[in-house]
Amino acid sequence: MMFLCLAAICLTGFGLVRWMFPRPLGWSLHNALLLSLGIGAGAGVVSCLYFLSLVLAGPNFTVLAAVTAGAAIAALACGLGTRRQGTLLAWAEGPEVPWYLLGLFLLAIALAVTTFLVAVANNPHGDQGAWSIWNLRARFLFRAGAFWRDAFSNDLGWSHPDYPLLLPGLVALCWTLAGQDSTGAPIAIAFLFALATAAVLTGVIGVLRGKAQALVGGTLLLGTASFIALSAAEYGDVPLSFYILATLALLCLQDRHPEDLRFSALAGLMAGFAAWTRNEGIFFLAAVILARGAAALRFRDRTGPAALAPQMLRLVAGLLAPLAVVIFFKLRVGGASDWSSETPALVLQHLADPSRWIATAEGLVVVLFTLGRFLISIVLVLGLYWYLVRFKVQDARDRAALATAAIALGLTLAVELLVAILFAGDLAIEIGTSFERDVLQLWPAGVFMFFLASGPLQLNAAEKPASKSKTSKKAPKPARRAAETR
Amino acid sequence: MARHKFAVIALAAIALCSIFWSLLDVLGAVSHNRIFGVASFENRFDEFRKTVQPHTVYGYLSDNAPNDPSARPEFFLTQYTLAPALVRSTADERLVVVNFHSDKPDDKLLRANQLALVQNFGNGVVLCRRIRR
Repeated sequence: MMFLCLAAICLTGFGLVRWMFPRPLGWSLHNALLLSLGIGAGAGVVSCLYFLSLVLAGPNFTVLAAVTAGAAIAALACGLGTRRQGTLLAWAEGPEVPWYLLGLFLLAIALAVTTFLVAVANNPHGDQGAWSIWNLRARFLFRAGAFWRDAFSNDLGWSHPDYPLLLPGLVALCWTLAGQDSTGAPIAIAFLFALATAAVLTGVIGVLRGKAQALVGGTLLLGTASFIALSAAEYGDVPLSFYILATLALLCLQDRHPEDLRFSALAGLMAGFAAWTRNEGIFFLAAVILARGAAALRFRDRTGPAALAPQMLRLVAGLLAPLAVVIFFKLRVGGASDWSSETPALVLQHLADPSRWIATAEGLVVVLFTLGRFLISIVLVLGLYWYLVRFKVQDARDRAALATAAIALGLTLAVELLVAILFAGDLAIEIGTSFERDVLQLWPAGVFMFFLASGPLQLNAAEKPASKSKTSKKAPKPARRAAETR
Repeated sequence: MARHKFAVIALAAIALCSIFWSLLDVLGAVSHNRIFGVASFENRFDEFRKTVQPHTVYGYLSDNAPNDPSARPEFFLTQYTLAPALVRSTADERLVVVNFHSDKPDDKLLRANQLALVQNFGNGVVLCRRIRR
């Protein structure tokens, strides 16, 4: 039954995104990407429906089973029944990919999956943060029956009862439909989100930059040991990283296909689900709206001022429903926030304390240099990669998307650090336990940006980068720009 | 071309070596049994858990030393194990669950906290009631 529930979640999302971007069924990058995006979309939709059902009808098995099955059937009917043809997402043109790149990517998948499976077999309840927050809440929702609101009791203040419910909601739904609480549900959900994150990263880089860049980017993410460990720990950070990546990737696709505004709508939906996953997702949601507006204004000569309003409208329309659920949860159901216990005087004292700013900056630098538990600091490795390959935004339309991503990620990280400075009781513990997770939430989107901006790879002797062969560097600037835009 | 090839292979090699190293770490951790991990806590509290009703509130007491770093995680584990009952980190409740690290209850600790034994579930798990509030 649990697998049926997980299948319903995936099919709901697949049906929804296929309804938005329909193409013929069959094995293709387009359908693989839709399936990956569908895992997150389905998880968000079903989790919101579970919460609303719980509020309206209580933990009633029949209602929950009907709502879950109904959502999957309706979404699939829409997705499979539509006759129009949506924008095709295919591999970007590029040189032939050497065999060893595919081999390295497959090896990375095998190692990452094995690491995940061994880690969860050793620790099936997840790390302390998982069982004391996410799985504890799911247990209350499943076991407490009519008293499910006890999950948000002030007695559980130490377990952050204000955290949004996407993850506990999904786990509790699987348990309710299966009739028992096993560790299989949180493990399967963690696995699906890690898989979907890697697949969306690889797929969207493949669409925007080609197969070679996609395989290298995918290998880098799958080789990020702490990202895989965080996923096996069953924390909410990897699902959040999925939604952040999906939002920014869809906005990049929007800039490549300005005529299809569904990309903005789906990006808005993903941003809304980010807010329904963790509180940091709320910061991201605000940051991405600001970033999109700022980037669109800065690059309006390329996107056109007329394009901004409809895109922003679709983005906001997409995030409205999940945001409404988040607001309702925060106002009517969720427990007290950690912040509410801090007095304004103490917050001001923290703000004016330079040692907290210095400790935060030091902590961030340490995290950046040790991020991912790579054997050599990934900052240095990426620096070397950049030196050898260089950055070159091949398609001018990517500039606005890159600016959006950079501003959104920078703002989100800045707000997360500011929150730590202002509200953390013991800043040293906060730096030691949360900073790496905060950066890892943004890591897949950071990898995506890096490979979107990096220069074209020339891995075969006979080939030269396409950009140089088509437009001479000696050509006048307007001609070069026109060629780039084409 | 050689520069690009070197960049790609170096990046991929470091990523693969890192995840392989992490796999070795995880495999090494498999043999380490945790006496007070989630599974062992669930086993210890198994009999008690069967009696728990939703919306019940229990106090909590343990024989951990005052500065024992595992005291707080053990309280969290108790709450996780006993959900959907609510567990408060105080002995000042009508019913108190006591987490001992030995099979024999420490009578001195119970008396000091004005607790009377209600039921001993074994494995150091004891339900007590408050004698006087």
